[in-house]
Amino acid sequence: MAFLALQLLIRRALLAVPILLCVSALVFLVLRLLPADPIAMSVPPGATQADYDQLRISFGLDRSLPEQYLIWLGKLLQGDFGGSIFFRRPVMELVAKALPATLELVGLGFLLGIVIGISGGLAMFMTRGRWGEQVLDGSTTVMMAIPEFLWAILLILFLGVVLPLFPFIGRLAPDLTLPVPLTGFLILDSALSLRVDLLASVLAHMALPAFALAIGIAPLLMRVLRSSLLETIHEDYVTQARLRGVSESRIVIRHAFPNAALPTLSLIGVQGGFMFGGTVLVEMIFAYPGLGNLMIDAVRNHDLPVIQAVALIYCVLVLGINAVVDVVYLAVNPRLRLKGRPA
Amino acid sequence: MVLQARNLTVSMQSGSTRIDVLRDVSFSLAPRKVLGLVGESGAGKSMIGRVISRNLPKQFSIGSGNLSFAGQDLVGSSTESLSALLGDRIAFVPQEPLTALNPLMTVARQFVEHLDRIGVARDHQPQRMAQALREVRLLDPDRVLASYPFQLSGGMCQRVLIAIAFASHPALVVADEPTTALDVSTQATIVQIMRGLQRDHDTALLFITHDLRLAAHVCDEILVLYAGEVVEHGPARAIATAPQHPYTRALQAANPSPSGPLTRLPSLPDNMPGLAGFASLQGCRFAPRCPAAEPACHTQVPALVQTVPGHAVRCPLTDRQQAAAKPALLQTARADSASEVILEARNLSKYFEATRNWFGRREGPGLHAVRPMDFVVRAGEFVGVVGESGSGKSTLARLLMGLETPTSGQISLDGTLLDADTAETRRLRLDTLQMVFQDPQSALNPRRSVEELVTQVMESRMTRLPPEERRQRAKDLLNETGLSPELIDRYPSQLSGGQKQRVNIARALCVTPRLLIADEIVSGLDVSVQAQILNLLLDLKAQREIGLVFISHDLSVVRYLCASMIVMRHGKVVEQGPTEQIFADPQHAYTKALFAAAPPADLDHPWPPEQASLS
Amino acid sequence: MIVLSERSRAAWGRCLSSPRVLAGACLIVILLLVALFAPWLAPHDPQDQDLLSTLLPPFWMAEADPAYPLGTDTLGRCILSRLIYGTRIALYVAIVAASGAMLVGTVLAVVSGYFGGTIDWLISRAVDIWMAFPPVVLALILLVGLGAGVNKVILAIVLIDWTRFCRVIRSEVLVTMTLDYIPAAKILGFSHARIMLKEILPAVTPLIITVLSIEMGIAVIVEAIMSFVGMSVESNVAAWGVMIADARTTMHQAPWSVVFPIGAIFLTVLAFNLLGDGLRRALDGRLVQRNG
Repeated sequence: MAFLALQLLIRRALLAVPILLCVSALVFLVLRLLPADPIAMSVPPGATQADYDQLRISFGLDRSLPEQYLIWLGKLLQGDFGGSIFFRRPVMELVAKALPATLELVGLGFLLGIVIGISGGLAMFMTRGRWGEQVLDGSTTVMMAIPEFLWAILLILFLGVVLPLFPFIGRLAPDLTLPVPLTGFLILDSALSLRVDLLASVLAHMALPAFALAIGIAPLLMRVLRSSLLETIHEDYVTQARLRGVSESRIVIRHAFPNAALPTLSLIGVQGGFMFGGTVLVEMIFAYPGLGNLMIDAVRNHDLPVIQAVALIYCVLVLGINAVVDVVYLAVNPRLRLKGRPA
Repeated sequence: MVLQARNLTVSMQSGSTRIDVLRDVSFSLAPRKVLGLVGESGAGKSMIGRVISRNLPKQFSIGSGNLSFAGQDLVGSSTESLSALLGDRIAFVPQEPLTALNPLMTVARQFVEHLDRIGVARDHQPQRMAQALREVRLLDPDRVLASYPFQLSGGMCQRVLIAIAFASHPALVVADEPTTALDVSTQATIVQIMRGLQRDHDTALLFITHDLRLAAHVCDEILVLYAGEVVEHGPARAIATAPQHPYTRALQAANPSPSGPLTRLPSLPDNMPGLAGFASLQGCRFAPRCPAAEPACHTQVPALVQTVPGHAVRCPLTDRQQAAAKPALLQTARADSASEVILEARNLSKYFEATRNWFGRREGPGLHAVRPMDFVVRAGEFVGVVGESGSGKSTLARLLMGLETPTSGQISLDGTLLDADTAETRRLRLDTLQMVFQDPQSALNPRRSVEELVTQVMESRMTRLPPEERRQRAKDLLNETGLSPELIDRYPSQLSGGQKQRVNIARALCVTPRLLIADEIVSGLDVSVQAQILNLLLDLKAQREIGLVFISHDLSVVRYLCASMIVMRHGKVVEQGPTEQIFADPQHAYTKALFAAAPPADLDHPWPPEQASLS
Repeated sequence: MIVLSERSRAAWGRCLSSPRVLAGACLIVILLLVALFAPWLAPHDPQDQDLLSTLLPPFWMAEADPAYPLGTDTLGRCILSRLIYGTRIALYVAIVAASGAMLVGTVLAVVSGYFGGTIDWLISRAVDIWMAFPPVVLALILLVGLGAGVNKVILAIVLIDWTRFCRVIRSEVLVTMTLDYIPAAKILGFSHARIMLKEILPAVTPLIITVLSIEMGIAVIVEAIMSFVGMSVESNVAAWGVMIADARTTMHQAPWSVVFPIGAIFLTVLAFNLLGDGLRRALDGRLVQRNG
């Protein structure tokens, strides 16, 4: 099993190489269509043509497109994303600061979304044919008609402004500072520093954005789990278990749920990918200093090196989450584990 | 009595009308006995199993009568007392073994779940499981227990399910078509195992099947159902050898015999109506199709009357029926070997490459679907291709039709070699060769009307025919295939299975081909409809001098139609020659096994053989 | 005269008796009418500023001005009028972008599923690469490259969301390809183009309509996001995303002004989702069978 999982991860990693090459080339090409001139925007007022030319050359923008791409790719392989035009700092440094914040937020949002999705789906199934299902079904319809970024605004409005229960700016209350920023993951850092007030502040700041992200994936999970449960409950093996006198609760837990969870699991992979997209706007709205905020700043200022780097990192994250889901899928589905190995 | 039904009636609520889908059924099943429920699909034979397990579809309810198990009422008892019986005292063997086991659990875990349920102590379980699996002739129980269902064949899954069913030494086992989904060659083994266990454990068996001949061999008593009614009830031997009800007779006669002289199959008109149609059957439900029906039959429901002690028939006219003339011997199925060759295949083979992975590389070994084979088909000749699933017989059909490119070998039509895919060869193939697909449900586009379907080929012509001409052609084709011209504007969903298959055949006849390829075209049909289609093919041959490559798993049907036959297994031809010769003296072990697997028409010939050499 | 098969008549019947389909369709018709007759319905010009009456509350509050039923924004512009004009942009993007994505995605899906082999491999790999991007990120990159503007947003949506159609419809095409009426048509001498148009396309049309409806809702959201971050319309144009971005800055003083455009987006997306969801339930044979 461990060997198969490793094999799968290696295959996934190999697969990621051509995808990332295509993605990076695509991003590179699209950004060079840019009608505006990023250098012109970033030169200080009163600069001479010479200053401008020098800046162009320093960012390599005077060379041909394929050359620029290859140079960028070559530096990338050495771990160098280049320098930000707007922030005048190495892109690597910006990304390194933003990445843990985003991962932390997505992790919490993902967990919350899965918990809501699975328990909601089970609840919908258990109340099938009764008013409980109607209520839950209606609530999924409402949840799905409002995108994450509007949920973010509504949550701020109702739980931040009208009822000031949760903070909604940044990652930490302004009067608090972390004694030792070790990992950049604030939940971890505050826990390591053994300060309850810090941890509480960090979690309170993450509550609303994580919840907004969770609402983005939960309703679809609920619906898919419910409908695959309805499907599996009519499968022959469930009928046959009933004919053996197996109790109804055991049928749901042991026979229907594990089988119904498989399609839900592959959906979780796809939804995980979308969730990274959701963070872009949600982070911006909560002024949460993650990748999404960095991306928006870069887009507004045509900061090409940052856009390229962040886009690529998003793709790596999406592929990564897909690989993790694949490994879980492999672990729970014997058909994949034993493929081509008849007994 | 283990199981006893008294005037059991099951009704379906459809809108404001109540339809009796099972009417006034009575029987009793004694310990150690086997009762067969025989009928075509929709006759209500599975309903009794569903009443026992209280697994009736929505809108179905028990109207009157009762059903009791060992004196305990099954209809009125509480859900708890019923589920205490299920799996313990009453066990079920399913129709589709491959889907009846949970795909995410090993055989061992599912077996343990059942042993826990029937109260076998944990430390006795390994030994009990191994023993039970050996009893169903799974000789390596450890390996089977460690397997997931998808790692086992259908036959092995069914044996596991039989082992689980008999683990609690139940008083009653209900087996609903336990061999239908399996290959022919496993049928004998499964039946043998079930009968052996049933005798050893003193179990009563309720055996549900559509196959009267199989039931005659397996059961002590038989109940024949038609449209929800018991039409005949009696000892198995009496029903199989001297049926009295016109329907039972038709059922028995419609099944071509694997031995003896060939006679034209008598076939009933139309088909059994669907559940919704039961409401319009006022008198005897069989009357609309009955060859001996009198006006009174359409208005009065006949009673089930004992003619001999232990043998009851629901028809007052049984004496009249005896007089019906014996059908004429069949001559036309023989071939004329002097006719010209239409189709010739030389060294024809097909190898499927493995599928590509993400990088476009091929993963794993491919599949030799058809290994090199030679054969010819002459004008007006019917050639049978016999094989089980995975034998390559369907790939052969696709090769002949040009749907697959052969890996090696050549096909000639009318003396012209089809060596390249050009407009001319396509034209030639289209004009000479047509195909009828197995499943009309899938072969007929549901969005086309009957007229558009049967004349579909005309749309591919460059010049368009005037619409009246197309309609006339459609009417001619319907007429030729025995369909009412009123059906011309219907859609497939409004047709019965037999009608769809006729449309399917009519479509292939539109170009007036010289040779038809028919891939399992009667396997999805009930026996009485099957006989209609087989006779239609014989009529077409007489009228049109048409040739036929008839692909089937059913030896008797091939014998009825075809003068020569080819037996295939795993893509390889194992035997090839005149049908009579192969039937009289099969050479290959596989052919012999196939013959042994099918129940013989002669009841004095014990079947299944005591120690079958099958696996 | 068009003769409908029993099957399609039954399907239409199910659609028209589905409360979801009816509710969705009614809402969409209302929104279309609002968009068409915006100049007659709106009490003010959406651009007109009235700097003397900024941040007026909606009609049910004490200080409301009856001339501005839903109040005004920071520049004293009529919120109701801006909402009404915003409908035009939302529906324009929804219809054009979703249709474009449908066209591209469906053609590629049918070709890919029908021919299989190398063509299918290439198209499927392209979809895989697209799927590695979170859609919002791809949209932002495209808009940086193409420049801002409503029509650029439409182009970006087509370039991104063709994959949604392609994935879903390709797998439905593959299901159809397993049915014997496709090889039957081949045997009857049908050309590839005729098989794709006459046999496959009709079979996947119900699914196309369903996905189209859902995609229209998604297009409304994407347009709102892009105007929210200033990549779509000019910042003074009345679009719902722009209104949300403006109102967000005054959330403390005038919380209602952010609720109205969110409500408008919610209603529009809800309408398309209800329609799509209802159509899916009514047209999916498998689902119909299960529910009896």
